[in-house]
Amino acid sequence: MTATTPTPPASPAAPASSTSPAWKGSSPLLQIRVLTARSMRSLATDPGVILFGLLQPVVILFVLTQVFSKMGPPPHFPAGVSYLDYVLPAVLVDNAIQAAVQSGVGLVDDLKNGIVARLRSLPIAPSSLLVARSMTNLARSTVQAVVIMVLAIGVLGYSPRGGPAEVAASVGLTLFMSWALGWAFIAAGAWLRRAEPMQNLALVAVLPLMFVSSAYVPVADLPAWLAAVAQVNPLTHAIDATRALALDIPGAGAVLPAMVISGVVAIVSAALAAVGFRRPM
Amino acid sequence: MITPAASPRPNGDIAIEAQEVTKVFGAVRALDRVSLSVRRGTVLALLGHNGAGKTTLVGVLTAAVPPTSGRAYVAGFDVARKPREIRRRIGLTGQFASVDGQLSGRDNLILIARLLGAGRKAAAARADDLLELFALTDVAARRARTYSGGLRRRLDLAAGLVGHPEVVFLDEPTTGLDPSSRLALWEIVENLVAEGTTVLLTTQYLDEADRLADSIAVLSSGALIAGGTAAELKARVGRRTVVVTLDGAHTAAVAAEALRRASMEPVAGPDTGVIVVPIDASKDIAAVVRALDHAGVEAEELSFREPSLDDVYLTLAGHRPHPARLVQGADA
Ligand SMILES: Nc1ncnc2c1ncn2[C@@H]1O[C@H](COP(=O)(O)OP(=O)(O)OP(=O)(O)O)[C@@H](O)[C@H]1O
Ligand SMILES: [Mg+2]
Repeated sequence: MTATTPTPPASPAAPASSTSPAWKGSSPLLQIRVLTARSMRSLATDPGVILFGLLQPVVILFVLTQVFSKMGPPPHFPAGVSYLDYVLPAVLVDNAIQAAVQSGVGLVDDLKNGIVARLRSLPIAPSSLLVARSMTNLARSTVQAVVIMVLAIGVLGYSPRGGPAEVAASVGLTLFMSWALGWAFIAAGAWLRRAEPMQNLALVAVLPLMFVSSAYVPVADLPAWLAAVAQVNPLTHAIDATRALALDIPGAGAVLPAMVISGVVAIVSAALAAVGFRRPM
Repeated sequence: MITPAASPRPNGDIAIEAQEVTKVFGAVRALDRVSLSVRRGTVLALLGHNGAGKTTLVGVLTAAVPPTSGRAYVAGFDVARKPREIRRRIGLTGQFASVDGQLSGRDNLILIARLLGAGRKAAAARADDLLELFALTDVAARRARTYSGGLRRRLDLAAGLVGHPEVVFLDEPTTGLDPSSRLALWEIVENLVAEGTTVLLTTQYLDEADRLADSIAVLSSGALIAGGTAAELKARVGRRTVVVTLDGAHTAAVAAEALRRASMEPVAGPDTGVIVVPIDASKDIAAVVRALDHAGVEAEELSFREPSLDDVYLTLAGHRPHPARLVQGADA
């Protein structure tokens, strides 16, 4: 095939002055801020999203506290701890996981929405959108955690054994783990580009994993084979760490490993997410 | 006009340059050694049927699709090496809507302006200007996902212009627009070009290319089969015609005789009583009318037909690309 050059009719070329971009461009920090504000807006205008995210943790909180207040605590329960005290950190972790899954689902929504195609044509760092997604869901899990705390205190009469500082530290650790796990789901979203596998995971896998952990009853009270599984279930360790902080009971040694592991998960996942996201649509 | 494009790096007068660009997707050769150049401040229309490779070429030139081989430069930057510099200077409106359905039309434009580095005030001002330009002011506050197809298309077009881009890429910009929006878009493009912007647009319509483009490139199955000015292309493609319908074979014969006397070359049309008259310029329609009037013949219907993309393919490629027919049929 012959190379072809369509030639325009003679016309004066445009002056060079019209060729510099109108604006100087934006810093990654500003990009993250603007894009976070964008995805936060749908949270603000659509409170149903937050309500839906609260559904599972809140239902479990109310059902289990009712059941166990009738039955009395299981034999290996920590002394002097009410069931509500015991289960609340686990409910917050459940909430954190749901929010983390939503990080990935939100990214997939963005990919389908058309906004990603637009962002790709702009002179911005593509990973700004990923960070914005992560920030948004951190905000979301924080709001949900606050709602759960308010319900627990206001309706169920929660008064944590540890002081407010201990509870705050516990919630902080929960949110940090949520943020880290959120990156894992953002990476999954960037590679899979489909929401269903993640939603199915959240529906099918999370609840059983919660039951086969120290979330709702002490591991020692589980049947032997379940206890064996619970021992290797990362949720057990995550919940033990946040619970130790909130109740001011022994076991705070799990806090540092939980933070280190979360940090590693976040860094590795963020790198994977950036690579996956860069692939063409 | 056919000249080999060989310069290793385009000079400042060339806004878009493709050199032997090839893109292979698995077994599909979407682009086959495409070379073209577009001078600053002019419009190139990329003409081609479905699957010809238009969107792929736009993708390569906007640094979104890496070419399998060949080089491309936009605004003086190599697409493979300086994608970010290119993105700072281009505006893209792709074939498929790329706006945020969750945001209002206005917020979509503000978002883009902010990401391009505009302050809050400047971003809002730019958004309002563009909303007005594209007649979207009335729906500016509504979420984009509630827009009709044409409204979304217009928002998408506005989104591509937020940063006062130096080079604008429009992939089938008028698809889905109603006639008045289509006309309005043509005017917007003409104004952009008057301000010195370079525009590359793809289209399936020869009349659109004719109206807007300084030069036209015709793609067929990934290869450029022709290029030149609209006039050059049309001279090669064949002529426009006037179709005259009369109330019977006898009147048609009288009319044909009258037209021949006026030194035109009427041809019997597909039905009895129909004659087809090739003409050179639209003003020749008047000559047809005058000749008929002179002979005292009254036409039942008189219509004017522009050469179509099909004529271009038939003349230049000697065939219609087969997948195109199929896909077009499915489209309709
Ligand atoms: N990502 C892809 N993977 C595989 N094949 C592709 C891909 N993108 C395009 N193609 C193929 O490349 C060819 C050119 O496609 P392209 O989208 O560039 O055509 P087009 O001229 O824009 O068509 P249309 O008028 O339908 O928009 C087609 O055969 C198409 O199927
Ligand atoms: Mg296309």
